[in-house]
Amino acid sequence: MLQFKLVLLGDSSVGKSSIVNRFVKDSFEDLRESTIGAAFLSQTIKLNDNGKEVIVKFEIWDTAGQERYKSLAPMYYRNANAALVVYDITELDSLNKAKTWVEELKNKVGDDNIVIYLVGNKLDVCEKDSSKRLVSLEGAKEYAKEQGLLFIETSAKTGANIKETFQEIGEKLYDIKKTEVNTDLDGNTGEIEISKPSTNDTTSCCS
Amino acid sequence: MESDESYIDNLIPAGMTASTKKDNDGIVQPGLTITKDSPTVSINLDNTIVSQRLTPSSSSSDVLEEGSSFMGSMHMNPRQFSTDNGMNIITNDITGENENDIDDQSDLVDQLAQSLYSYAATTRNYPKPIISNEVPNVFQETQDSDELNKQDKNFFILSSAGKPIFSMNGEDNQITSYMGIIHTIVNYFQLNNPNNEIKTIILPPKNQKFVFLNKNPIVLMVTSTRGESVNELASQLDFLYSYILSSLSERQLSRLFGKRSNTDLRNFLEVTDFENLDRLCQVITYEFYPELILNSLQCMMVSKTLRNKLHEIMSTQLVKESKFLPRGTLLYGMIVSASLNRLISLIRPKGHSLHTTDLQLLFSLIQNQFSNMNENQELWVPICFPKFNANGFLYSYIKFLPCKNYEHNKNVLILISGQKDSFFKLKLFADKLWNKIVDENLKSKIFDIGQGYKVTDVPAPLVHHFIYKAKKYVQFTMPDLEYHQSEEDSDGNPSFQNAKFEYAKKLRTYYQQLHDCITSEGGRQLNKSILNFIRWELKSNVGATASFQKEDVNLMGLVWVTKNFELYLICNNGITDKNIIFKSARKIVSWCKKNESKLFIQDGAVF
Ligand SMILES: Nc1nc2c(ncn2[C@@H]2O[C@H](COP(=O)(O)OP(=O)(O)OP(=O)(O)O)[C@@H](O)[C@H]2O)c(=O)[nH]1
Ligand SMILES: [Mg+2]
Repeated sequence: MLQFKLVLLGDSSVGKSSIVNRFVKDSFEDLRESTIGAAFLSQTIKLNDNGKEVIVKFEIWDTAGQERYKSLAPMYYRNANAALVVYDITELDSLNKAKTWVEELKNKVGDDNIVIYLVGNKLDVCEKDSSKRLVSLEGAKEYAKEQGLLFIETSAKTGANIKETFQEIGEKLYDIKKTEVNTDLDGNTGEIEISKPSTNDTTSCCS
Repeated sequence: MESDESYIDNLIPAGMTASTKKDNDGIVQPGLTITKDSPTVSINLDNTIVSQRLTPSSSSSDVLEEGSSFMGSMHMNPRQFSTDNGMNIITNDITGENENDIDDQSDLVDQLAQSLYSYAATTRNYPKPIISNEVPNVFQETQDSDELNKQDKNFFILSSAGKPIFSMNGEDNQITSYMGIIHTIVNYFQLNNPNNEIKTIILPPKNQKFVFLNKNPIVLMVTSTRGESVNELASQLDFLYSYILSSLSERQLSRLFGKRSNTDLRNFLEVTDFENLDRLCQVITYEFYPELILNSLQCMMVSKTLRNKLHEIMSTQLVKESKFLPRGTLLYGMIVSASLNRLISLIRPKGHSLHTTDLQLLFSLIQNQFSNMNENQELWVPICFPKFNANGFLYSYIKFLPCKNYEHNKNVLILISGQKDSFFKLKLFADKLWNKIVDENLKSKIFDIGQGYKVTDVPAPLVHHFIYKAKKYVQFTMPDLEYHQSEEDSDGNPSFQNAKFEYAKKLRTYYQQLHDCITSEGGRQLNKSILNFIRWELKSNVGATASFQKEDVNLMGLVWVTKNFELYLICNNGITDKNIIFKSARKIVSWCKKNESKLFIQDGAVF
């Protein structure tokens, strides 16, 4: 089975754990404890490769947004295939924090090695009351485009765009993997044999 | 790692004993006659703490009200009685009996025990006994108009420069002035007597205690009128201080204050820190948490075969995986009931131990911080274990095991390492361990863990509740607390929590006093072996306005300490025959010894 490593980064209380929880358990809690340290989860999704079903396993690091744990972050993003940099669209500061994460990822990992997805969360709040929005859709989109990031707005509460986001990441990483393998095989476009042992070793999979 | 014979080491934090000794000056000396110079002498004293006659005027309040009253002018430390407020203190009747003298009881006593009203007896007849919080309360509460003064207890944490960091109760503006006063007092004593820091102030009218813990760059203070001993309050402060270290480490703390002494530490503490501090204060103030005064941990009652099997699997798995898990990667491992704060099993290196305080902090962190975790998640949490190494962090792999009734009971596997990047190694080990557990058909057994035992399961008649500490293991055991919901519940009010707190309050106070009478001012046990009885008395009068007659309180407690164990017990109301009580005490001791392998982790999986 194909495995991809994801990491969620972003300021405290922007909704990282809620997003993961929506994705993994399809549920939401209004009262959620701030993450301390980091939480590791895994979840599989199905992709469709020209009619063929492909199962992809995500190994997800849901990191703590609290300042105290910032220095541990490299441990989690170092081997990641994709990063979800999350901000809260009702908190202007959280976008600035997200930008520093993007910068750090680019400096320490390099865009070539990691897919970065900028995620503006808590869409439901602004749908209810548009005055709550403090980060404009256009502004964030513009920034994402400049930086070459994928971008979306989500709500962990309603589930809006959550599954889709992970699905898209899966497809994207699968495509990257496919081209890598194809070029490795010197242009051979035949069936891709991907049989990775399903270990949790840090060195396994696409790192 | 500290090496110690026992795997959970029980040392009183360095500096604490020495420092609390200094505070003797201002404190009333023990009024009990206890022979300190002959350490093996057993003492048998009947010490009645409260003997009070309720006046008809107050008898209109119902039993529940009475029970809910707790503190006040009543001086709960047996050494500090006063006789104001109509209270008579009946003093010690030291019989000097040796514990062996009571060894064999006559048949008469047996018969007597059978014929007396007994909790054990009643339960045979009634499927749902109305008991437990039938144990009356003798502690009274006073009212104060000032919001903050209404609180009978408060914790303050501030920087040595006087900047507020945390307080349990009170608004910011109120607190700031308090903090100023604390700062001034601490500094005053420091300036005038640099070698002898302020430790304790006791204000006689309410027996209000102020206990200080100066841990430059921060200062902690607790004030209480609840009657705890100075030692107990000091250990509570140390617990809070240890929490701060567990979060920041001592090195980081001094670095933060190194730059500027007027650092505002609140900027460096996270929301979760304040939540955890609040929670710890709640637990030590309102809940029944004997872990602290006993300086030991509670273990889950698990069958010997299951415990041995688990330890065997852990040991063999560790040997098997040594390729993936190089020696030194795993420092310490355990399975814990997170909701009950109790150990189920243990993996530890030979001759090494973690301090009980460190484990208590870890358990309460898991209990407080991960309530919405589930078995899908695995956590990797850096924690400083202050008694192990106050300057560094260890990393805890935490996995919630599948179990029945997830809301109420969570069993957790914890693996601790000193290496911050060893998550996947530990995870691999944990996965293999779990697979093995499943293979051996132990999954459902672990799933079912969560049952304690009731006092009626112990063949010791007339005992309401007890705590037995096995010194060798630094662990204690006690029957589940049983409290029934109070009357208001019929209205659908959630007074369950109240009933629980009421009951916890009573038990806590009785046990505090029992513990107190075997402990010196310096926090040391008075003798190697001790046998004490305490009696609490409260006479009720049928007043003109009384709707029904209240039960007289005539309650006996026993504390029995030997080289191997400590036993604290509270009898059913009205049981005052010391011979009978002691007989039950001996039955408890032999029951605990017989069930030692179920009640305690004796060795764990040692590697
Ligand atoms: N209305 C709304 N609330 C949300 C949404 N996502 C998260 N929340 C709430 O925001 C709070 C914080 O969410 P978390 O998921 O704990 O945030 P986090 O990013 O994991 O925070 P840290 O663990 O501290 O880094 C919680 O109370 C959630 O219930 C959302 O999409 N809409
Ligand atoms: Mg989180």
